[in-house]
Order: sequence, then C-alpha cells, then structure tokens
Amino acid sequence: MTLRGIDFSKLSLKDALDLAILIEEEAQERYDEFSDQMDIHRTPEAAAFFRTMSGNEQRHGEELRKRRERLFPKEPRTVNRSMIFDIEAPDYDQARAFMTPRQAMQSALRSEEKAHAFFVAALPQIGDAEVRALFGELRDEEVEHQDLVKRAMAKLPPDSGPPPEGFVDDPVAQ
Amino acid sequence: MTPTAPSAEAFQPKDYKSDLKPIWCPGCGDYGVVQAIYRALAAIGRPPHEIAFISGIGCSSRIPGYTSAYGFNSVHGRALPIAQGIKIARPDLLVLAAGGDGDGFSIGGNHVPHTIRRNLDLTYIVMDNQIYGLTKGQLSPTSPRGRETVTSAYGSMEAPVNPLLYVLAFGAPFVAQGTPADMAGLASIIEEGIRYPGFAFINVESPCVTYGEEDHQLKDHRAAMIPLQSLGHDPSSRIKAMDLAQEYGTKLYTGVFYRNPTPPPTFEALTRERQEKLSAGAPPREKILDLFIQR
Repeated sequence: MTLRGIDFSKLSLKDALDLAILIEEEAQERYDEFSDQMDIHRTPEAAAFFRTMSGNEQRHGEELRKRRERLFPKEPRTVNRSMIFDIEAPDYDQARAFMTPRQAMQSALRSEEKAHAFFVAALPQIGDAEVRALFGELRDEEVEHQDLVKRAMAKLPPDSGPPPEGFVDDPVAQ
Repeated sequence: MTPTAPSAEAFQPKDYKSDLKPIWCPGCGDYGVVQAIYRALAAIGRPPHEIAFISGIGCSSRIPGYTSAYGFNSVHGRALPIAQGIKIARPDLLVLAAGGDGDGFSIGGNHVPHTIRRNLDLTYIVMDNQIYGLTKGQLSPTSPRGRETVTSAYGSMEAPVNPLLYVLAFGAPFVAQGTPADMAGLASIIEEGIRYPGFAFINVESPCVTYGEEDHQLKDHRAAMIPLQSLGHDPSSRIKAMDLAQEYGTKLYTGVFYRNPTPPPTFEALTRERQEKLSAGAPPREKILDLFIQR
C-alpha cells in the first residue's frame, strides 16, 4: 500500500472524495483481474467470489461518485491513480490457481483490513473537519465490509485442500 | 509523423491495457510489472498508437499482447535488434523492449552490449525470475549456483550472470532495478527509464510463483528489499553503482543504480547529424556517378 504526493493536512473534501473513488476503482479492477485469472485457471468458485467483490467495490464507488457529483458538479479531478497503489486492492500475490473459496475470502478480508488501516493512519493527519468526517465514515464502512466477508466465510465448509490432479509438478508457491 | 505532445492526465492506466486476458499463473510477479508499465505510460501520456512494445519469447514476453500499443512478440532473444530497427525507422515512436532473464542474457545475450553501445532511446525491461518458467522450470543464466530443477537434478554448477554488472560494464547510461513488491517504486523507475534520453535498462525481480524458489517470492521481496535512496546512493557514479550491483543475488536493491548525468548522444541523433552533414555537400542525383569516375 503506497501513497504518493498526498498531503492529508491540506486535503479538501473534493479531493478526498476523488481519492476514495480511485481507491474503490483500483480495488474493483483488481477483483476483475482476479476473477479472470481464476476463470482461466479453472477455479470457478474463487472466480465467482472475486466477481462479487468487484460488484461490491463498484457499488461503493458509485455511491461516492454520486455524492461527489452532488457536492462538486463539473469540478475537475486533481488527484490521480499514480498517487495510490494497492490501498484496498488485494496484492497481486494474493491470488493462486485452484485457491479455495475460503482462501479467496481470506485475501479479500486482508484487503479490507488494509483499507481500514489506511483510513485509521490518515485520520490524525487530516486538517479539514468534513474530510475527517468522511474518512471516519469510510473507516467504519471497512469494518462492515470485513464483517460481511467473515460472515460469508463462516458459512463455508472446511477446506479439503487443492485437488491433487491439479498439479503436474508440486508448485513451489501455489 | 509528429509525436503528440505528452499530457500527463490525458490517459489512464487502463487505456494501455489490451482486451487480452493474461494467462500467467495467478500470483505471478508479471501482473505487477505490466500494471506498473501501464501506470508509467499513463504518467508519460503518449497515446497508445505512438508506442511500440517488442518482446522475445517467454512468459514475460507475452506483455506486448496485454498492452494496447503496437506489439511484436518476436523470437527468442531477439527483442533488442527488432526494437532497434523499429526505433531507427521510426524515431518518433516510444519504444519498449521486454523479456525474461533467459531471453535477455542467454540466447539474447550478445545483443545487449551492442544495443548499449549504439544507445538508441529505448527502454529494456527484463523480468528476472532466475528460471525458464514457460518451459516448466529449467535453469536460466541468472539461476544461482546449486539451484536444482527437474532437468538439473544435482543443481547448477555455473556461476550466474549478474545482469546489473553486465549492463553497467558495457556502459549502459541508465540502470535500475525494481520488484512488483514495491509497485509505486517500480512504476516510478519505469517512467524514469522511459523518460531518460538514451538506452535504459530495468531489471525487475519478478518471481515465478510456480517454478521459482519458495523463499524468493513477493512476500520475501517485501521484507528484503533495500531502496537505494535509503542508502544515500549517488546514481551519478558508475563505479559506486557497480559496487552495489555486485551484491545481485544476495541483496535486493531497488531504485536507480546509475544514471549518466550527461547523457551521451543517441544513435538517432548522431544519424540525423551525419545525414545533415553529408547531404550539405551531396551532389545532385544525376552527378552521383561522377564520384566513381576517375578523371
């Protein structure tokens, strides 16, 4: 998780909303990539889960976009994607061929925890009261997202491990 | 063709992403590398149709197919000569070359010194995973001594090539190293390499999740990487860069090893200069034969 060129003490509400939208967009795109990878590598259950996560991120992003449009219609965006890396998006090495739904959910849970940690770390640095309120809200939402994933995990049967016929050679890190 | 003036906000990373879905193993380091390339290209702002991306053969050489640009997934080890030809014919294009450690330092090894000394303005990104991954796990020129594989059951007996020392010794004017474990850093050095006016070499430690070593994956890179900036390294000194480069294989330094502060003239610039000089005194076409007739 990396930030570049963001001074939280001077962050405006418009920029904070744009940043939050970019974070959701990045996460949505990553989950799309993961679901494609799982499809290609014949791991349909994990693919379906990542697709669900992508849909969740898209919804969150849409809610933020509508809010931004209401408050700052037609004002151009001044923050961009080069300022954020993997804030909420799962790290690329979280995906594995033949990963179980539980493993897929664990990777999503780690991502939600990462995003929560980001907002927690940013809050003390924020100067603007409205931005602080927004980040507090986003922090609390990440807790809700974590609970959603945990509830889904609780419904899963225990993992039985990857199918032995899935590998020709024992993979080193799969 | 006059290149479009770059505009940093004109393009988003996804504008450089093609419709082809990568078939790399989930968890492969190359996913991070291609994402970092998209970010770097977006920061530079050249339109996709002004970019040419040439590769050799291997998992990492699939990258041009996953990039929205003119792509040429060529033959094993031959990305650099083709990239040079494209750059000479079309100096207006932003030219990238990519491949793996085998592609670049085994079969393609002899193209590297000549590309360096020619110094065309192109960027060569090597995804170094110390294995031949596409063909399912054979030793590569950067595999460490003692490394065992299915086809080298008793382990490598050869000292590995050090790609950083190799290019520094041949005079590369820009040399950097990164890892997908540090996406921001990797995107930054790729962008800097592309912007550098001359040949830029970027070694990316991009682990193979299927045939690589279990304790050399991205999670290990995160723990082990040492940003050169944190050491106060001065990238204007080739000797200091070579000193650090000797630790390839034992330490994972990231960032710019060397950046020639006075970039040498590029091959394209020298060619243009020579053409202008020679055409100044060139006879008209109908008198060309007179050059060969003794009077």
